[in-house]
Amino acid sequence: MYYPEPISKLIDSFTKLPGIGPKTAVRLAFFVLNMNEDDVMDFAKALVNAKRELTHCSVCGHITDQDPCSICQDTSRDASIICVVQDPKDVIAMEKMKEFHGKYHVLHGAISPMDGIGPEDINVPDLINRLKDEEVKELILATNPNIEGEATAMYISRLVKPSGVRTTRIAHGLPVGGDLEYADEVTLSKALEGRRDL
Amino acid sequence: MHIEQLYLRNFRNYDSLEMEFNNKINVIIGENAQGKTNLMEAIYLLAFTKSHRTPREKELIQWEKEYAKIEGRITKRNQNFPLEIILSAKGKKAKLNRLEQKRLSDYIGALNVVMFAPEDLTLVKGAPQIRRRFIDMELGQIQPRYIYHLGQYQKILKQRNHLLKQLQRGKSQDRTMLQVITDQLVEHAATLLERRFVFLDLLRKWASPIHHGISRELERLEIKYSPTIEVSEDDNKGKIESIYLNKFHQIQEKEIERGTSLIGPHRDDLLFYVNGKDVQTYGSQGQQRTTALSVKLAEIELIYNEVGEYPILLLDDVLSELDDYRQSHLLHTIQGKVQTFVSTTSVDGINHETLNKAELFRVCNGEVEK
Repeated sequence: MYYPEPISKLIDSFTKLPGIGPKTAVRLAFFVLNMNEDDVMDFAKALVNAKRELTHCSVCGHITDQDPCSICQDTSRDASIICVVQDPKDVIAMEKMKEFHGKYHVLHGAISPMDGIGPEDINVPDLINRLKDEEVKELILATNPNIEGEATAMYISRLVKPSGVRTTRIAHGLPVGGDLEYADEVTLSKALEGRRDL
Repeated sequence: MHIEQLYLRNFRNYDSLEMEFNNKINVIIGENAQGKTNLMEAIYLLAFTKSHRTPREKELIQWEKEYAKIEGRITKRNQNFPLEIILSAKGKKAKLNRLEQKRLSDYIGALNVVMFAPEDLTLVKGAPQIRRRFIDMELGQIQPRYIYHLGQYQKILKQRNHLLKQLQRGKSQDRTMLQVITDQLVEHAATLLERRFVFLDLLRKWASPIHHGISRELERLEIKYSPTIEVSEDDNKGKIESIYLNKFHQIQEKEIERGTSLIGPHRDDLLFYVNGKDVQTYGSQGQQRTTALSVKLAEIELIYNEVGEYPILLLDDVLSELDDYRQSHLLHTIQGKVQTFVSTTSVDGINHETLNKAELFRVCNGEVEK
């Protein structure tokens, strides 16, 4: 081993992070050695706390430090609309927009038989229970526009249809501010399919 | 369209090679195992990003070399642009105009190639998957969008088969999910079928008269599509979808029992008939060869009509296998309009004035001289 054990352990830990290869890990580890001790302590605490104090909200499944999460507790939000997303990061993206004032449901994945992920492995049963307990009028299905996301949306909409709750799917098509000529054919034909009256 | 220059590096038995071509006929002469087919394969790879001989791309890289590169300079509609394929242990890069194209459907179609090689006899007498591959490749090169639908279809099919296996083993009871995936599959299956029908219609239109001509007006060629559902080739996409859905509904229990998808474009076949008889079963070797040749020649005209330019024709070691009449018929058809590459062990036995105007290349152990 070229490195003393403490630093080789640190390098190994960095390598476990996504997008970080062996060289970056070495660079980061040596950078940490030169940081002042307070900052390193803060960093270490932040890591541990993020893991220890954050849980998934028992209602919607979003990451939170209090249960239920701040969005689920917020009575000013419209509880009759639930936006279903695949990932906590999708909630953040929707929240940045500041246009949506309903509530969320985070699935943590999409149905994919190939990977052994069925409806019960993502947060679908909880969603169905929510529909029974809460006064929900509309379910917005905002899963990703790929095969698995699409299948998940179709699946949920079939489960929910009998209960009379309105289910909608977010539109896909051209990005705003983009040029038509640069759009790929698939996106363009989806945009054409989803055209609407003016 | 034609290819003006070809540059190879570490490809098969070529260390480094640069060639310039005639835009009419190029004849590549060499003994066996000198690298004639490797040149054909390189041009084929530029068009399809895949080899016609092997699915294992490591074989294409010269022994103990890190990478292999194929570069071609293409002229198409008075424009001139480079195409590059770079193969390495990490994978494959396809560049159009020096820009990497991540999506296959953005690259394929830039260069159109029709190849006729000894293996093409299996198009008639081989397994159904060879004919499906033929439709998919040829349709893909004139309609890149088809490749996208095919890719989506294959992905959904894989998901569906996994789910059917889970249902078979009782690991899942979820019929709703099966319905959802079936709906997804049917949408793409219908698109594939609709596009295949249009393509076959065109192929028939060109192949029948060509076959009639090559066979000295003695034979009539029919091409039939054999789908796994009862469908008419005039049915629109909506109709095809509903036929598929009904059939899937009927066979659902059987599919679960077997744990795999039993119908769909991935199980379809093409049938060739000469004078009403199935060539695959009853045709002679010669009839099978003529049929394969007619279909390939039809493709040339089909591509011209769809793309607006003639494709490049690769004749790998087949010219000498055709009789004089078929040879001259073939050379007459392509005369002057299609850039053609012919590989052969000797020019004896190939006698036509077109060949006299050809550029000759001698291949010897990975070296080429004019």
